[in-house]
Amino acid sequence: MQSNIQRIEVTPRVGGGLRDVRGDTIKSQLKTDHNLEITDVRSILGYQINQELSKDQLTKVVDELFTDPVIEIGCFNSSILDNKNAFTETPEAVITVGFKPGVTDNRASAALDGFTTIFPDLGKNVKISTSISYVFFGLGDVDLNWLSDQLHNSLIEIALIADSNDCAIGDWPEIQFPELKDIEYAAPSTIDLNVSDEQLIEISEKGLLALNLEEMKAIQQNYLDTDVQARRKKLGLPPDKPTDVELECLAQSWSEHCKHKIFAAKINHIDTETGENSVIDSLFKTYIMQPALDMQQEVNWLLSLFHDNSGVIEWTPEWSLCMKAETHNSPSALDPFGGAMTGIVGVNRDILGTGLGARPIANTDVFCFGPPDYNDYLPEGLFHPSRVMRGVHAGVRAGGNESGIPTVNGAIVFDERYIGKPLVYCGTVGILPRHLPDGRESHIKTPEPGNLIYMVGGRVGSDGIHGATFSSLELTDESPSSAVQIGDPITQKKMVDMLLEARDLGYIEVITDNGAGGLSSSIGEMAELTGGANLDLSKVPLKQLGLSPWEILVSESQERMTVGVDEKNKQAFEELAKLHEVEATIVGEFTNSGTFLVNYGNDVVADLPIEYLHDGCPQLNLESEWTPPIHKSIIFKEKTSPEEMGNILQRLIARPNIASKEWWVRSYDHEVIGQSVIKPFGGVNHDAPGDAAVIAPIPGETKGTVISCGIVPRYSDIDAYAMAAASVDEAVRNAVCVGVDLSRIAGLDNFCWPDPVQSKKTPDGRFKLAQLVRANRALEDVCRAYSLPCISGKDSMKNDATLDGEKISVPPTLLFSLMGNHEDVRKAISSDFKNTGDVIYLVGETKQELGASELAYMLQEESEGVSGIGGNVPSIDPERNLSTYKVLTRAMHAGLVESAHDCSDGGLSVAIAESCFGIDAGAKIDISFLDSFDDKLDSWGALFGESLGRIVVSINPKNIQAFEEIMTAVAHQKIGVVGNSDDLVIMKNETKILTASIMKLREAWKGTLDGGQQNEC
Amino acid sequence: MSVKVAVLTGFGINCDRETAAVFEMAGAKSERIHVNRLVNGEINLQDYHIMAVPGGFSFGDHLGSGRLMGNRLRFGLREQIRQFVNDKKPIIGICNGFQVLVKMGLLPGDEDISFGQTASLTLNDSGHYEDRWVTLEFDDSSHCIWTKGLKRMRVPVRHGEGKFVTNDKKLLDKWQKNGQLVVRYVDPNQQYPSKSDEILPYPLSPNSSWRNIAGVCDPTGLVFGLMPHPEANHSTWLGATWTRENLIHGEGEGMSMFYNAVNYVKALFSIND
Repeated sequence: MQSNIQRIEVTPRVGGGLRDVRGDTIKSQLKTDHNLEITDVRSILGYQINQELSKDQLTKVVDELFTDPVIEIGCFNSSILDNKNAFTETPEAVITVGFKPGVTDNRASAALDGFTTIFPDLGKNVKISTSISYVFFGLGDVDLNWLSDQLHNSLIEIALIADSNDCAIGDWPEIQFPELKDIEYAAPSTIDLNVSDEQLIEISEKGLLALNLEEMKAIQQNYLDTDVQARRKKLGLPPDKPTDVELECLAQSWSEHCKHKIFAAKINHIDTETGENSVIDSLFKTYIMQPALDMQQEVNWLLSLFHDNSGVIEWTPEWSLCMKAETHNSPSALDPFGGAMTGIVGVNRDILGTGLGARPIANTDVFCFGPPDYNDYLPEGLFHPSRVMRGVHAGVRAGGNESGIPTVNGAIVFDERYIGKPLVYCGTVGILPRHLPDGRESHIKTPEPGNLIYMVGGRVGSDGIHGATFSSLELTDESPSSAVQIGDPITQKKMVDMLLEARDLGYIEVITDNGAGGLSSSIGEMAELTGGANLDLSKVPLKQLGLSPWEILVSESQERMTVGVDEKNKQAFEELAKLHEVEATIVGEFTNSGTFLVNYGNDVVADLPIEYLHDGCPQLNLESEWTPPIHKSIIFKEKTSPEEMGNILQRLIARPNIASKEWWVRSYDHEVIGQSVIKPFGGVNHDAPGDAAVIAPIPGETKGTVISCGIVPRYSDIDAYAMAAASVDEAVRNAVCVGVDLSRIAGLDNFCWPDPVQSKKTPDGRFKLAQLVRANRALEDVCRAYSLPCISGKDSMKNDATLDGEKISVPPTLLFSLMGNHEDVRKAISSDFKNTGDVIYLVGETKQELGASELAYMLQEESEGVSGIGGNVPSIDPERNLSTYKVLTRAMHAGLVESAHDCSDGGLSVAIAESCFGIDAGAKIDISFLDSFDDKLDSWGALFGESLGRIVVSINPKNIQAFEEIMTAVAHQKIGVVGNSDDLVIMKNETKILTASIMKLREAWKGTLDGGQQNEC
Repeated sequence: MSVKVAVLTGFGINCDRETAAVFEMAGAKSERIHVNRLVNGEINLQDYHIMAVPGGFSFGDHLGSGRLMGNRLRFGLREQIRQFVNDKKPIIGICNGFQVLVKMGLLPGDEDISFGQTASLTLNDSGHYEDRWVTLEFDDSSHCIWTKGLKRMRVPVRHGEGKFVTNDKKLLDKWQKNGQLVVRYVDPNQQYPSKSDEILPYPLSPNSSWRNIAGVCDPTGLVFGLMPHPEANHSTWLGATWTRENLIHGEGEGMSMFYNAVNYVKALFSIND
């Protein structure tokens, strides 16, 4: 046993109505995910305190801190497994899991805080670590190494096993204290770039810089410049070579993650179908920024676009709103829990770093995973999709819930091509007062040279070094574990509370997040505003002594903001930080010197001209070539009885992409802040799916905000143009369903693509880039038509994994998120049918569009590939859709619409079934006249086709005339009536073509993704 | 003069804004006050009429929900809180705030205000955190000042540790007799009154709490805590099924609890706005 280590163990009391729920949950998950039957699983929470303590002191902390006397039993410096009151029988196996040194241990931080409350003087030098033990009874024949792998992630945790022999003699696992050793300090070095091209590439690859040859050569050139050399000589820097600090700083600033080089590239685009051969100078500027800037000329509510951490719109004269979404794909592949949690708390900081600081008020999350029941080959090094899903979900849940930010909207998409890299999109909406008490407009940063630079929040460690450059590379077997981090929502919550108070007191001149690239990006970017900054890395508080200057500069350790404060507010700012128990340290000051000057104590370690840092990166030249892919057609069974059609609907609605996500969504807090008007689920049993969130953020006021999203990666298989168009339309359609004010909507584009740069590794790069070009063109066309500016966005361009020599690339995926105004939330509409006898209408035009539909993929799987997914993919007519949406919105505001539900995945039949779930009754539908917009429309297309621009609404019979009058000019068809029995009946030309039981459909819909209940005692 | 409410903030409390808002809507003046401003003496708790410990995840609930915040208050504000109750001033703990009051021994509490823990809130039997709406029923014979005249209320629960238990089952009978088991989960389809000691099936009871207990008060009826969130139903348009109901929009079902406390204080201290 290590000296001075005190061990404390705590286990729940069981029996007499008390249970070990943690153990029961593990038991239930092993049953759900692996079909393991285990008699009993118990849990023990372990703590190690690295400090000499007396018996009395130990008794005090065990009784007053670590153990709840009512529900737990605790002990110190002995194993609780030997305590016969706690464990009457000898277990068959015990697996103890603890963290590796340096990994964020939130329970330990809380314990240390609690320890300091009890012993304020002792607390200063104490270190605490935690572990958890799983104790198994009635395990049967299970490989304990395999079991241990299911219970821990070897990248960040260690696990020790006691088998039945060890258990018999009481030889219990004992984890060593994970002492984080100080690193040996390495002084800054210089890198000779006067070398061959091959060596330049080697320097980039070995150093995980992710810079290409042209970029390395641009850096090489900079240090040959005689003016640069003269200046460097004066500063005492090596004149003709970069320091490691400089090279790392450039690599971060020029990374794909930070610089979006592919979106900024010059692209030669060829279309073999149309003969087009043209040059696109930056996808971003052409298709995203320019349309938004053009729209900014037309309206007065677009306050801030593209240059800040998120885009800002004016919502009311008193308040503005901002929104941002990010992805955290690579970290989530390596550690689903930690990766996803840092994703959500990271994007919260983007909001806090917007303007002079915005308050996060709503989260969104959209995940793309491999199928939860995937049973095909899984390359070494990958987690099973079900485990990725549990981990990601738990990470976002903990991150959002503990931060007190409601998760109001989201989606989960499944496709086998996401097993290599899951996509984890995390979004946040923030609110800002239009003006601060001191009169400043809150969306404008106001830094001046001489402002002090504070680093606020967490400390810097070796965790998270190279996150930005790592995410700009594909995932391989050698991906570094230092790129993995676990968020600490409570440290961040304290910081958010403190900084928002500082904002209102007028202490903040400029603020930004420390995310990708760490201080190098946060200070580097803000230095652009004043024209320079000085930074002293020796002032930065560290988790671990000995970090080299470059590591301190680029580390992405979490929960940190960089804040500029006027000298006159120094004392007040620091006192406020102290009150909130938040660390705030001066690390430098803003200047107008034109350079980012970095010191380590007295030594100058980097001097990078601001302009070069931000604009020196050479533009990429890329090639793109579009040839439409060819797909087999869908094969339909010729004669299908109404019952069989009902079965098809039942199988379709049970597919993971359509199935209810309620079990997962309910474990997010979607109602904190007390503003939730339209919730994720509605209807008489609170289980019918909502289309979009409506929140009323100001207590007692009825003006609201709508938040929605659209994502349909399937359509990329036919055409990424259709995919992007459908994503935008889905987001808008969802918002229309709840009654959004279409004159004030704003969007976010988040692209997740496989590597689209042609190379030996990516022989189809030209095609993937052409898909990107087409998606961007759709984005522009549809957003312009809808007057829907993209106010912020992000791209993640290397979503490939090469493992076991096999490359798995995600399908090209665009998530489109939307926020919009709602004039009066009391007029918001929900998706559930309201009353028997209400008349059902389909608004919009239905065409024979089954290409890449959810039905097509189902039939392809069921036929083992005999049936294809080919056919017409849903096409878009945004002008027509918009006029339809506007007219429908008028009808809604006039109080004529009882329910409105988006028609998307699975088509009309799924939409109707979902609205039926909300009233717990069926409907009688007639689709005879649906073909009036397309004479090729057959029953399959009518029931399951996914034509865009369609919404299922229900109308009280007394309002039909008024509704019809308003809707005259746009496509709308009366298709049925809400029933009072369990039967869903769909007719065509007097013949039943589909019959189903709503109860059975609901069971199927809810069964697929039921995460498992364990209510049996 | 107006009724002044101290709404605690800091360390992961996160329902402080809406909790402050509902007291304002009920006619009081709320201040969100960081716990440390009370502990360090910058602000005196005795200057307030009501104290609210809002929901949240204080200290991440890592050593059991509410435990660390409970200790901070127990070690830092012990006498101030005792004085507050002795002055007949009401205290409410909602969700994490309820967990804090239970873990620090203020609830269900005793006549001496001895801060000895006698009950706990443990992990839901469902095994996970959950946000869903429930129906509550109140003990109309209780002397709790917060629940006077209340019968039923629809509110959301948002917790992973809400199962009310004790290690001395005899205490349950005592608390019941004293009118301290003020509020229970009930089946909305059963006629009022329907509260029962038989544990309701999930999800009618979201956590398998003993005797379906959703909230309790102390022997004085001044200190009250509950797991569900009445402050989240402050307006009709925040209800779970309001789009299905014919209602006149205005204040939500949750407000009555806050009016009760504000009106109690007005009467006791003769405050007329």
